[in-house]
Amino acid sequence: MSSDKRLVYLDYAATTPVDSRVSETMAALLGEDADFANPSAIHAAGRRSGAHVARAAAQLASLLNTQPERFIWTSGATESNNLAILGAARHREHRGRHLITMLTEHKAVIDVFRALERQGFDVTWLEPDQRGVLDIAVLEAAMRDDTQLVSIMHVNNETGVRQDIARIGECCRGHDVLLHVDAAQSVGKLPIDLSRLDVDLVSMTAHKLYGPKGVGALYIADRPGVHIEPIMFGGGQQRRLRPGTLAVPLIAGFGQAADIASDQIPDDLTHLTTLRSRLWDGIREIPGVQLNGDLETSYPGLLNVSVDDIEGESLLLALEPLCVATGSACNSHNQDPSYVLRALGRSDSEAQSAIRFSLGRPTRPSDIDFAVSQYQDAVAKLRAMAPDRAA
Amino acid sequence: MIGDPYSERVRAMFDAPAHAGVLEGASTVTVDDQGVRIQLSADAADGSIKAMRFLAWGCPHVIAAAEAVCAGYEGRAASDLDVFRAAELMQSLAVPTEKSGRILVIEDAVRSLGAILRGISGSDS
Repeated sequence: MSSDKRLVYLDYAATTPVDSRVSETMAALLGEDADFANPSAIHAAGRRSGAHVARAAAQLASLLNTQPERFIWTSGATESNNLAILGAARHREHRGRHLITMLTEHKAVIDVFRALERQGFDVTWLEPDQRGVLDIAVLEAAMRDDTQLVSIMHVNNETGVRQDIARIGECCRGHDVLLHVDAAQSVGKLPIDLSRLDVDLVSMTAHKLYGPKGVGALYIADRPGVHIEPIMFGGGQQRRLRPGTLAVPLIAGFGQAADIASDQIPDDLTHLTTLRSRLWDGIREIPGVQLNGDLETSYPGLLNVSVDDIEGESLLLALEPLCVATGSACNSHNQDPSYVLRALGRSDSEAQSAIRFSLGRPTRPSDIDFAVSQYQDAVAKLRAMAPDRAA
Repeated sequence: MIGDPYSERVRAMFDAPAHAGVLEGASTVTVDDQGVRIQLSADAADGSIKAMRFLAWGCPHVIAAAEAVCAGYEGRAASDLDVFRAAELMQSLAVPTEKSGRILVIEDAVRSLGAILRGISGSDS
């Protein structure tokens, strides 16, 4: 936040700053003397560029304990989600047109399934429990003979709630149904061992793990039956699944960020757990404050709270210079109540007052103390300014 | 949409609403509609508004609009409340059109307060 030192940024679930080691790696690949050639070219310059891409794939594969050739580079998680869901549904539609997902998925998944519904696919929308967790029995009950794809996110972007991907994968595998996981909020943040999970497609993005914006990846498992159709056309790159010249500096940055995360995850989790406890302890005693989600099952970098009888948009502005989010920051100018929190049973008013604090590697205890103070003051100010409901 | 959704004036009035509060014993009106709660109170004498205060539950534009109304009417004739136009206030504060319904709630409150001060209808306090 170099442009304004007064800002306190607690919106790391939206995006993270680029780690200086990552930006150094990327900078070395920009400029006239850098390895600028198309990495798909077979000449010597192309091979030099290709080596950077191969190194990044190896770094990402190491983070997730899989093989480097399992990744398709994309522009980010939104494109990965589109490619995975549209690609899998279309590839398998001759076998059946029933798909399953959850009401609490990110818009980049929800809207893809809505598009498939308009194309005649039958989508079952699963509801979570009050914590936001999917009951495996609910998934099991939704399976049909014509089910082809299940898409469940790993960590929810609004509440931080984690789904039990291992058990969900077992359930899907038992029914010979593909499982896609939107892991935009968990890759590089939580330990993930793809060699031990029954998942087929995993979406991820660099900018949530201190890498650059504009690059992501889709993991495609190496097992029979896991195939997708391309959704873009124009070249034969990346196994004909995603055309376009690869953005070598961005991909190299993604790889470097993954490499750093491989070492950093345990320390990050300890750091974030301590800070989130400090934050929750500081605001939990405010009358009317309510936790959205569940501390035990959620990623520790995220805390989502609602507060009684406070208007959310005013709360967000009163919290400045604290940078936090209401609902999903991907569309933070939309002040409609969060559909994720509504699915958890929150009222419109409760959902509309929700604030998402998301913490990151650079967050300091003093940032948390500032956030607590700002939140207490903002709630007090707005309550003092509000007429009684019954007046 | 990318950019600041609030004008400088809205930000200033939201940050420091000098007229937030209640005037004890003053004529008061409360309107609760469109997801907005607004209470206006005014002390008037000799047909002139001596002091005006508000309480509001709503978005920053609503709070700023309420502050602007109170600041703008102090010292003016009470009869001016009858000709209040939400559209003019929306323009001066750069309120987005999708929030016009909320600002119209303030218009209803201002007009009701004007009626109370003229003795046409009873005060709710």
